[in-house]
Amino acid sequence: MAGGALYPLDQIVRAEFDWVGAWRQRLALKCAAAAVRLTGRSEDEASLRDAWLLRKPGDDPGPAGQILAAWKRLASRSAALDVDVLQTIAGMLGIKWDEPLATLVQSFDDLGLTGSAAPFAAAAIMRETVAIRPDAEVLGWWLADLLLAQKLRWSVPVPLLMGQRFSSVFRAEGGRGRIRPGDDGFERAICLALVHAATEAGRLATEIARRADRLAAVTPKLRSKGADDGLRLLLCEDAVSGSLQTPNLSRFASRRLFERLQQLDAVRELSGRPTFRIYGL
Amino acid sequence: MAKRARQISIDKELLHLTPEERHRQWAARVEAVIFASSEPVTRKALERVVGQDCDIEAIIGEIQEALVGRPYELVAVAGGWQHRTRPEFGDVIHASGTANAPPADLTDHQALVLMTIGYFQPVTRAEISKIFGREVSRDTIATLRQLGFLASGPRSPTPGAPYTYITTPAFLAAFGFDTLRDLPDTEMLEDAGLLTRKLPVDDFVEPELEDDED
Repeated sequence: MAGGALYPLDQIVRAEFDWVGAWRQRLALKCAAAAVRLTGRSEDEASLRDAWLLRKPGDDPGPAGQILAAWKRLASRSAALDVDVLQTIAGMLGIKWDEPLATLVQSFDDLGLTGSAAPFAAAAIMRETVAIRPDAEVLGWWLADLLLAQKLRWSVPVPLLMGQRFSSVFRAEGGRGRIRPGDDGFERAICLALVHAATEAGRLATEIARRADRLAAVTPKLRSKGADDGLRLLLCEDAVSGSLQTPNLSRFASRRLFERLQQLDAVRELSGRPTFRIYGL
Repeated sequence: MAKRARQISIDKELLHLTPEERHRQWAARVEAVIFASSEPVTRKALERVVGQDCDIEAIIGEIQEALVGRPYELVAVAGGWQHRTRPEFGDVIHASGTANAPPADLTDHQALVLMTIGYFQPVTRAEISKIFGREVSRDTIATLRQLGFLASGPRSPTPGAPYTYITTPAFLAAFGFDTLRDLPDTEMLEDAGLLTRKLPVDDFVEPELEDDED
């Protein structure tokens, strides 16, 4: 069943549409919001986006922003893992690093080589992580998505599972409580979660594809010189600050560009504020 | 420091020694490096002075064991290790007047502001002032910044685009936390509803602004 649900997703990933970056990054944002919630913080998607876009390049976006950075990294780099990467990610997710965690790299590679199906491998790495460090659940979800991509031979991972952490598929049957990585039925729950996540991701892809088409349709109408920079960012990022500055595009020019695009109904204003506007597909 | 380490080449593997001697030498090096440093020493730094197949964790364990009953200990802080006197000797050391000024001689108010930022980060000065119920002065923030406990985070999307403040690794090291999750009583404060971001409603009405970024 999970395989059937993954097929359309696989098609999207392999077709490498030009909007696939925006799609991945939006899924990353959704997963990061769930991860932030899991770590007991209260930031939502909008405030994560703000933290990310309103900082100066290179500045620390704060603890929740760091979690978003971890997922953005997942959705933009290849699916390889080594100890340094794992340590960086653990730092971003606010998990104390210790030596037992380094063994996860070995388990990750082993699971990548065994013949078990992708969802089961993802479930196994979750189990492993939580067994080593009960407080590292977020890292487990991160690894699960990475392993999924490696198993399916996707060049760049798609953040999927973390976003389902708080959905009903992990609700224990009959009674209250959640299915935890150690419990029976966790594999089943992961498969179901994957189906849900794949369906949602597919729906999001349809929507983003439609918007990207619209953007492509209005592109000839734009006369701004540096418009290419803005358009490229719109297609490969979840959102772009309204006062974007690039060598070819001053912040006044980008403001006019985005306003024009909004008039043409090609982008949306995502923050709902009259100031500090944030645009995205 | 890293530059100097690259220039001086030392024999890391010590192949001419017997395994026991090698281990003893490595252990001595690890302890020496940590002892000499005023900041927590990371694993990476230690790997520069010991051989490939050296078990740093085990050496740390041995040193810690050897220090049982001594007035100082080896602790893991901020992603590294550091020699520290045991907390119960704090008063004694202060009374002697010999120790250097502590890394931070914070007033109660400064400490409170710092902890508030720790829990609520990223947070602006205006928001901290709202939590405190009175204005937290720029000087307080500047002092904490100068001590290296605070850094600027993203700008807040409110009028004036004020910077938010976040804590730095130096803050974690100075207070003996490993990650922000180690902040005391997080769960208790959460249950008491003190960590929700819903700040008390204030009667300040935001003026209608022009459509204008920053």
